[in-house]
Amino acid sequence: MTITAHSVAPEEIMAFLDGELSIAEAETVAAHIEQCLECAGLARELRNTSQSMSAWEVPNSPSSLDESVKALAAQTAFNAKPARPGAYIRFRRLNWKVRAVIVGGAVAAAIIFAVIVGPVMSDSSYRQSRRSKTVVREQGAEIGDFASSGSRSIDGQPITDQQSKTSESINGPLNGRSRSFSSLVQLAAPGAAADSNGLFHGLGDHVENSFPAGANGASVPAPMIARVASLTILVKDVAASRSSVDALLARHHGYSANLNISTPENAPRSFEASLRIPAPELILAIGDLKTLGRVENESQSGEEVTQQHTDLVARLKTARDTEERFETILTQRTGNVSEVLQVEEGIARVRGEIESMEAEQKALEHRVDFATVDLQLTEEYKAQLNPSAPSASTRLHNAFIAGIRHASGALFGIVLFFVAYGPVLLIWLLIVGFPVYLVWRRYRKLHAGI
Amino acid sequence: MDHLASTADSENGSPRETDEQLMVAFTRGSKDAFSVLFLRYKQPLFGFFRRRLADPSHAEELTQETFLAVLRASSRYQACALFRTYLYAVSFKILRAYRRKAAFRAMFLGVRRENREAEAPNTFDAEVLIREAIGKLESLDREILLLREFEQLSYAEIAEVLGLPLNTVRSRLFRARRSLHDLLAAPALPSSAAKVAESEERA
Repeated sequence: MTITAHSVAPEEIMAFLDGELSIAEAETVAAHIEQCLECAGLARELRNTSQSMSAWEVPNSPSSLDESVKALAAQTAFNAKPARPGAYIRFRRLNWKVRAVIVGGAVAAAIIFAVIVGPVMSDSSYRQSRRSKTVVREQGAEIGDFASSGSRSIDGQPITDQQSKTSESINGPLNGRSRSFSSLVQLAAPGAAADSNGLFHGLGDHVENSFPAGANGASVPAPMIARVASLTILVKDVAASRSSVDALLARHHGYSANLNISTPENAPRSFEASLRIPAPELILAIGDLKTLGRVENESQSGEEVTQQHTDLVARLKTARDTEERFETILTQRTGNVSEVLQVEEGIARVRGEIESMEAEQKALEHRVDFATVDLQLTEEYKAQLNPSAPSASTRLHNAFIAGIRHASGALFGIVLFFVAYGPVLLIWLLIVGFPVYLVWRRYRKLHAGI
Repeated sequence: MDHLASTADSENGSPRETDEQLMVAFTRGSKDAFSVLFLRYKQPLFGFFRRRLADPSHAEELTQETFLAVLRASSRYQACALFRTYLYAVSFKILRAYRRKAAFRAMFLGVRRENREAEAPNTFDAEVLIREAIGKLESLDREILLLREFEQLSYAEIAEVLGLPLNTVRSRLFRARRSLHDLLAAPALPSSAAKVAESEERA
């Protein structure tokens, strides 16, 4: 029987017999059944099937059911006012869309809290810990000032020549740190002075003050400190700031060892440079650099290289003496050709060592004479319409090319993944999948049989 | 067809009060309302479970559990649908939970699912044949057919209880009836009733 041969569907005949049709539909189906023998047969068949099912009767419910349910009803406490359902029940009653919105909102709030509030809290706690550390250092420095000699310490750690590398990092305002830094300077270098900003004075005078007389008249070498400062400044205009930096370098007799300007599209411009400033000018230069904009980060560190320099000078002196002795031998003594050649080889070797050490000494002294300032300028970003942006067709073309490239890359990656891990996955599939399949088959079989 | 609510209305409770009115009265503390509802639905519910479970003690247990669930959830009841639909939806959830637990026990603990009751000596062959034929239907088709024929639920109520589209219910019901007709029309062996009883006991 097909719908095309009859004006009513077989399901409609069944619905008619079940009383599920409207009056108009029922009249239509009834009229069709009267005319169509085939549909009348179907209706008769359906009626017979339903009647045959009535043979399946169920015995009356046991009396024990009445007793047990009545006992349960008696135990139940009735409230005149229906109890307010719990939060979970009310949540379950909501539409799934509302539930999805609530759950999504909760997840979003958690993410926002983790991403925004978490770092802020940790940053504030970090600053607090930094502040407490600074206080401890100040106390340590004050104690060290009063210490006579020998075991001066900061934070309980003894200071030796090798450990006198000082470092200070400041985030944000620098107020109130001068005392601690100057104290550190005094601890690390008794011969050096610090200004009110905690910066060194006279550190570049290593030639003049290489071996100054100490307070007690003993020959105490002045510390040689190679200084490195780092500044991150937020400026309004990078181009103008760069001109200011050039003028600053010329004024302080410094130079730029490395320079990098980045001008990305729809993003703030940035300027990075590694400046070399004469050490005596460092304080003034940093002060001038700070006027370029708002200081976001500043850090300074100093590495004492006195011991390294002293060793180098001693080794150089020894090498020069050796060279002189070789030359004396060559001029005053006589010998055969092989002996002369050996002496000349010795002179050449010592000469090479001397030149190497001299270069090393110069580099070391240069590090001390010229402090390094790692400067990073970031521009305050102002979004603006860019008329020179690529046209829509160009961007579409580029996006299309990029899309093809990414798609091919992804496909190739998938192929590579299956080539690399396919055999292993197959083995695991056989190991795990087969028992799971057997359990599933058994479950289905049992479940269907109930 | 047995156990119609309307029939129960006239027999056991006040014919003027609907199931929903009785349930609302029960939520307000009327124990008599619950008694009337219980009288109306104890036999239909017992039949619901009895036709789906082989063990009559389990059918009684689940019937009791259904009424207990209604008692416990009475404070949250809202008369937004027919009480009959609500009751059978609760029954169906309890039945599903029972089947799930039984399948789990049978699979992992090796416990027998049912202690099937031995057929009474006077069990008619026709009833056994009907049970056998219905048992051969697909599970969802069987549920729809039973809800329609024995619980007398409308297509819309069946769709709500089982969570199916209305057209699916109609097409599956038609398919189940045609399949049942074919199964009943097939020539049965003379000893089929005895075999069915034997196989049910084995299972």
